[in-house]
Amino acid sequence: MWPVESRRRQQVTKPLALLIVAAGLASLYPLQRSLDGMLSSGSSRRETMIFLPASVLLRRVSGGYSGLLAGIYWTRAVQYYGRHRLAQAQEYALLGALLDITTGLDPHLLIAYRFGSIFLAGKAPEGAGDPQRAVHLLERGIVANPEHWRLWEDLGFIYYWDMKDYAHAARAFRAGSERPGALPWMRVLGAVVAARGGDLQTSRLLWSEIARTAGNNAIRRSAQAHLAAMEAKQLLEMLDAVLADYCRRRGAPSRISGKGAELGLDKARGRCLPTMHDLIAGGYLRGVPRDPTGEPLTVGPDGRARLGPGSKIDLGLAE
Amino acid sequence: MARRIVTIALGTFKESVRERVLYNLVVFAFLMMGAALLLGRISVGVEHLLLVNLGLAAISVFGLLIAMFIGIGLVSKEIERRTIYNILSKPVARAEFILGKYAGLLVTLLVNTAIMTAGFYLALGFEQRGLEWQDSYLLVALYFILLELGMVVAVAIFFSCISTPILSAVITFCVFVIGNFSADLRWFGQESGSKLLLNLTSALYYLLPNFGNFNVIDQVAHGIRVPAYLIGANTFYALLYISILISGAVLIFEEREFR
Repeated sequence: MWPVESRRRQQVTKPLALLIVAAGLASLYPLQRSLDGMLSSGSSRRETMIFLPASVLLRRVSGGYSGLLAGIYWTRAVQYYGRHRLAQAQEYALLGALLDITTGLDPHLLIAYRFGSIFLAGKAPEGAGDPQRAVHLLERGIVANPEHWRLWEDLGFIYYWDMKDYAHAARAFRAGSERPGALPWMRVLGAVVAARGGDLQTSRLLWSEIARTAGNNAIRRSAQAHLAAMEAKQLLEMLDAVLADYCRRRGAPSRISGKGAELGLDKARGRCLPTMHDLIAGGYLRGVPRDPTGEPLTVGPDGRARLGPGSKIDLGLAE
Repeated sequence: MARRIVTIALGTFKESVRERVLYNLVVFAFLMMGAALLLGRISVGVEHLLLVNLGLAAISVFGLLIAMFIGIGLVSKEIERRTIYNILSKPVARAEFILGKYAGLLVTLLVNTAIMTAGFYLALGFEQRGLEWQDSYLLVALYFILLELGMVVAVAIFFSCISTPILSAVITFCVFVIGNFSADLRWFGQESGSKLLLNLTSALYYLLPNFGNFNVIDQVAHGIRVPAYLIGANTFYALLYISILISGAVLIFEEREFR
């Protein structure tokens, strides 16, 4: 009974299976073509070049796991930067390559563009001192993620702070302000930078907005440190002016007339070298002025205002 | 017919469990727990992204290994052990045997993936202190992984009907690798300038399973939704390819003589 039934079944199964194979194979071509159309509309999968950069090659080889590799490379880039930063290194030879590979593996990894450009642009030992490469990194990020206005903001920053190129900075802020979702102050920033260039007020406006709107704690802390440094620098300049005024009123020749000047006076040699106590007693100050972190300011042996020994403010950030 | 297929499928599933296939879940659990706890300490800003990528990659790799190594033994092991005579002497058609074996391994992979998915979401919830709406997009990537696994099992069964287990493993692995790079294969053909090579690589591109179609891990990891038409087209593509391979396997198995 079973062999007969089996043969009958075989007579049905074989033609059916053959039909499925033939029809299936015939359908594969149009189906794959339509899938190609769907997939290529979302991203540029093919690079039309013979030379493949390391990142592109890695992305191809990694198959579906390029995102995981990008995360690993980003972690390596952060650790590389951290190790060199701690060692006060003057050179970050591999940083650029690590960031290129990371962003090549995952062109949408925004944090690698944003932090990476900060790492690259900063002067050694804070960074690689290569703002041009930071600009290239951000430009690639903007091409891959055109809707993210924050990348324009970062680009404007690099031009403003590290390259002192105010025209390009203003252009970047303006371009960023036209992206969807950009905060209104980006347009203001573009106009202010274009009009006033690199004055202290503009810088303060920049950092205040960054500190206010940063979505990342590290960026917010950095912005606050810059604001504190700028405020401290302004306080020191004011105190220098008070010192100069004190000496002038006492008829002593003071060379403090502004930024960069030196007092060069010595009490012992009959020159004017006031202490903080002298300024308070003379009614020039109500009390000892303090920097934004609460540390008292002092007068150095050269007669110029200085940050207190316990101050954690990095005046280099105000440059 | 359906009852016989279900019986064979359940037998295959039970055999996989007996062979301790699901032990990989322990490794996966440790991997996820370790990743959720450690990634925040060694990286900056990509903890979530790394966890998502690592989780999906692990689910995919574990699944592929099971699909490949169990898949190649599904038919050949029965022949080697000579249990095939026992099965085919009963009122079970050869097509039912192949379909049952395929369905059994698919159930094993489904259970395995479902448990790993639960662990993956637990780790995600722990890492970001709760789940967000965008995390549901990851289910599409998991679905595509399952479709991919279904295709790999079909490839493995097809070759295990033709060849020895070792050769089947090698060929299945090669098909999987080429299937991931078939787009590049065609691109090389285009760049070569040879019409013959271009035709050959294009033919391979359309003929071999294109696993690159299912690669959306990067996309969903960034919270980008996969369009419905791509889900539909990929589902259709996978079902079509599985049908071709299983039908091919049935045709070969029907003609095979056991001595």
